[in-house]
Amino acid sequence: MNGTIPAPTIEYALLAPMLVVFGAAIIGVLVEAFAPRYLRSAIHKPLTLLTLAGAFVITIWQARTGIPTTPSAMGAVAVDGPALFIWGTILVLAFVSVLLINDEGHFVASAAAVPGSAEEERALTEGATHTEVYPLVLFAVGGMLLFPAANDLLAMFVALEVMSLPLYLLCGLARRRRLLSQEAAVKYFLLGAFSSAFFLYGTALLYGYAGSVDLAKINTALGSVGGQDTLLYIGVAMLGVGLLFKIGAAPFQAWKPDVYQGSPTPITALMASGTLVAAFGALLRVFWVALGGLEWSWTPIMWGVAILTMVVGAILAITQTDIKRMLAYSSIAHGGFLLIGVVALGNNQQQNASALSALLFYLVAYGFTTVGAFAVVTTVRDAGGEAWHLSRWAGLGKRRPLVAVVFSLFLLAFAGIPLTSGFFGKYAVFQAAVAAGATPLVVVGVVSSAIAAFFYVRVIVLMFFSDPAADGPSVVIPGGTWAVGAVAVLATVVLGVFPQPVLDLAHTAAQSLFVR
Amino acid sequence: MNPTTGPTLVDFGHDPLWLSIIKAVFIFVVLMLGVLFGVWFERKLISRMQHRYGPNRAGKFGLLQSVADGLKMGLKEDIMPRTVDKVVYLLAPVIIAVPAFLAFSVMPFGPMVSIFGVETPLQLTDLPVAVLLVLAMASIGVYGIVLAGWGSRSPYAILGGLRSSAQVVSYEIAMGLSFVAVFLAAGTLSTSEIVAKQAGGGTWDVFGLEIPQPSWYAISLLPSFLIYAITMLGETNRVPFDLPEGEGELVGGFHTEYSSSLKFAMFMLAEYVNVFTVSGVAITLFLGGWRAPWPISIWEGANTGWWPMLWFFIKLVLVFAFFVWVRASLPRVRYDQLMAFGWKVLIPLNLAWILLYATLKALRVPESNKAFILTLGAIIVVGGLAIWFRFDTLLQRRREAKAAQIEEEFEQLREEPEAGGFPVPPLDLPHYHGVLPAGQASTAVKEVTSGSN
Amino acid sequence: MTSQVPDLWPPSAQEVVFLLLGVVALGSALLVVTTRQLVHAALWLVVCFGALAGGYLVLTAEFVAWVQVLIYVGAIVVLLLFGIMLTRAPIGRSAGLDSGNRVTAATVAVGTAAVLVTVVVQGFATAYTPLEPGGGAAATLGASIFRSWVLPFEALSVLLLAALIGAIVLSRTDIRPANPAADAGGPAAPTTPPHPPDPAPPPADGSGATAGETGSGRVSRDGG
Repeated sequence: MNGTIPAPTIEYALLAPMLVVFGAAIIGVLVEAFAPRYLRSAIHKPLTLLTLAGAFVITIWQARTGIPTTPSAMGAVAVDGPALFIWGTILVLAFVSVLLINDEGHFVASAAAVPGSAEEERALTEGATHTEVYPLVLFAVGGMLLFPAANDLLAMFVALEVMSLPLYLLCGLARRRRLLSQEAAVKYFLLGAFSSAFFLYGTALLYGYAGSVDLAKINTALGSVGGQDTLLYIGVAMLGVGLLFKIGAAPFQAWKPDVYQGSPTPITALMASGTLVAAFGALLRVFWVALGGLEWSWTPIMWGVAILTMVVGAILAITQTDIKRMLAYSSIAHGGFLLIGVVALGNNQQQNASALSALLFYLVAYGFTTVGAFAVVTTVRDAGGEAWHLSRWAGLGKRRPLVAVVFSLFLLAFAGIPLTSGFFGKYAVFQAAVAAGATPLVVVGVVSSAIAAFFYVRVIVLMFFSDPAADGPSVVIPGGTWAVGAVAVLATVVLGVFPQPVLDLAHTAAQSLFVR
Repeated sequence: MNPTTGPTLVDFGHDPLWLSIIKAVFIFVVLMLGVLFGVWFERKLISRMQHRYGPNRAGKFGLLQSVADGLKMGLKEDIMPRTVDKVVYLLAPVIIAVPAFLAFSVMPFGPMVSIFGVETPLQLTDLPVAVLLVLAMASIGVYGIVLAGWGSRSPYAILGGLRSSAQVVSYEIAMGLSFVAVFLAAGTLSTSEIVAKQAGGGTWDVFGLEIPQPSWYAISLLPSFLIYAITMLGETNRVPFDLPEGEGELVGGFHTEYSSSLKFAMFMLAEYVNVFTVSGVAITLFLGGWRAPWPISIWEGANTGWWPMLWFFIKLVLVFAFFVWVRASLPRVRYDQLMAFGWKVLIPLNLAWILLYATLKALRVPESNKAFILTLGAIIVVGGLAIWFRFDTLLQRRREAKAAQIEEEFEQLREEPEAGGFPVPPLDLPHYHGVLPAGQASTAVKEVTSGSN
Repeated sequence: MTSQVPDLWPPSAQEVVFLLLGVVALGSALLVVTTRQLVHAALWLVVCFGALAGGYLVLTAEFVAWVQVLIYVGAIVVLLLFGIMLTRAPIGRSAGLDSGNRVTAATVAVGTAAVLVTVVVQGFATAYTPLEPGGGAAATLGASIFRSWVLPFEALSVLLLAALIGAIVLSRTDIRPANPAADAGGPAAPTTPPHPPDPAPPPADGSGATAGETGSGRVSRDGG
């Protein structure tokens, strides 16, 4: 009677980076439960950083020992070249974001207190902190690792939730502008739940079509199952909505500015980098592995989405007066540029590999730059918190030239100016798209880049050629933020001047394409 | 059918319709009579425990007392409060009573017997997940209480309903967890098969030593049984967990507005049937079911034919007597203690026990990696102990700090009575000692002969 | 899968029961959204879940059926009712339950239903799977969960843990300072006027309520 279920085969070594992160998150929970309050922060900070660093080392080690060619963990996870590259990227970006999180003063003292109430005041004066942030961040990072590596839609959905739920919460924990933060959390939660429902609905319909949620089996079913095309198309559309929402592609971009603005800035940095990378990994896997055979059907729609996303992101960014909202729209526009790469799916292996490697490189370059940009945003502060309004940034170049120069560098990288990482990212993606015959898309991309460059340069002009206000914001750079800024500057410059090693690495990772 | 272990799942589902109807009617009648008998038995037993006679007027030994009470309830005026939600108000007693009866449909009374020439098990039906059905029925029963409380539109009733729902839902978790070890041991969720598993203990091979295992899960899974015994009191809202109808504080709890009519009778009925149900589950899952206990089981015929039904009902009476015994012995607990006990003691203990049992189970799987399991177990035990010691000292320190703080506040109050923010007279005012107000006499304390004036 | 399709007419007893359960589920679901009484809506939801559980039973998914009753009926809706009663417990009609978006919502709902029904009918009109008793028992399901789906299953447990932590973060009011001596300090220091210092440090234990009461007691003591 007992023991009739054969034990599943789990490749623990392959899944180690993910398991390490989840394990550390659970240890973090235990720390929350049992460690005395004054020790918690001191335990969490090294624990979280060491975990992420350790997981990164394991990932590197795995990439060197050989990349498996079959899915692992009973077919739930595919640890292949792109997945390992994405894991490495996410882990580094998360590490950098955690350095930002470590600095004081980003998170609320007592989330349960009503904003402006006596309880909140009391918690503030007593210096209470929510150290639960660290395990939550680790949970989210674990979800980010699972999301792009999931090999069936069910695992992918679970990963999506594991990634999103802690982020919904973290969004609402900003120390300043509590109401804005809570609004962001609720908006993100409601819209995110909605998009998850779409994803799940799409999964159900695709299961009805293919009789399996396994990505490879869905692809096989594309050629063999006939007469149920409605099911397939509606399923694909819903799945696409769920995934595009996470990327923030138009017309599902509405949450992004509000959420990016209201969240604590380190969490915004994590979302703008890690979540975007993970979501693109998952999107690529779904559309290339499961729906590769359906390319002729979804490519035109993806064209439209990419164009709309780029244009909406670039044009709406111009009208923004808030630095965080501007960066959010910039992130939307970059999502559009990345979608060009998704569309650049060709007919032969080589073409696909080059498109994939271009995307991977773009993700790395953009991830570092965006974390750096948000790190700079945290340093420019008014009495009531970070100075978000662009007018407060006027003349910053005269008062704090170094900060202004660094921020300008990030903005130039966003714009894709040569000698920055953004240039090679865009160049690689556009090149792949041209090779795949998507020249019109590239034209739109270049035009949007030009529009986007306008508002990036506008900020630079504002910082260097305006007179500083008398009561201008102060610039405070805690240690962690220093490190983050330095790393981001280094990455942006090195990838812009000497991109070959990372390009090669991305190329090697992309060579084997996704495991089927 | 296997003559030594009794019916299993394959023996079910072959009954002709008339036989199923006979069984269902039998269960219904037994339960109805059981309630009449149960009320009498409880009153009689508790009286004896309290050195009283109990009911002794209606019939021999007062046996007809319950019948008389029932008749009275049926004949009384049916009062419908004016503002109640009528549908819900009328529905609540039904909702509470029906699931209580339904749960009995999977209770095994005995082995295969021949009824009018048909070989059939003495059990209405069985499912592969029969125990879940019992739990599910218990969870539906909660609605009766909640709705009775809400539909009555009375503060007492709604408080009772809320208390009850919180209590039952909480204790249901602990109850479900206490079944888990049984499922692990038996490898099935079907009631008849769980009984069959308790037929013979088998032996436990430990390092070459063959230790005979007791057959009843009550003994081999003692922690589960103890926790179940507690939760079954909580689940049925019986003393000491009868907070939902704590008459001292809530009049009658959720059924305050159901004055003595047939609707109230339904609540009484449901309460007793629920007690029988949880007792039946205790017997089936932990006390060997219908199988005869040891001295009787030496006789070969004890577990065949109709005899087992007798053992089952004897066990039922004994478990019911346990309920009465508890009621006579224990005071009612406070509500916060009740919830804290359920969530902070029963559930964690249960989880720890399940972990332990699963580890033992894993060690017995032939191809298991014993070194790994033992290492993991050791780490968990050490970690758990470390946490426990830490909390022990921490709690001790907290208790001391609390005591010191209270002492300090008392000290302060003694010195300066208004310090608490309340306009209280000092504890030691002169006129307590017969001294006249200021200006008339000195403050010296002197002996007075009578009272304080 | 599509072999040996029996005749649709006359329907078997199972089909009739399934159909009736479907009608009950549909009707009660409609009543959930149309009734103006909050508690009644919750009760109709119970009926709807019950009918779904019945549907699972007819399809021999016994384990799922009883778990549906146990979790959805026995726990989730009870908690819902609990929440309603702790907050307002209204009897009778509540005007606030009517939304101005009625027409839009109904259109979306009918549209979704129409698409789904069309798709399912189109896709599975001829599909047929014979029911096998015991197919939905705990053993089959357990084997599936702990073998094929073990990783998503474990990830789900992680998700629940994260949700639990989140709930604690959002609801706990007795967060004590990490280090009472050191204030947050720096530019992130609160701009609000500083709190009047307490004559004595708050007790190192106890719930937020106790601490709050003692605190306010002390304040008034100072005043009095």
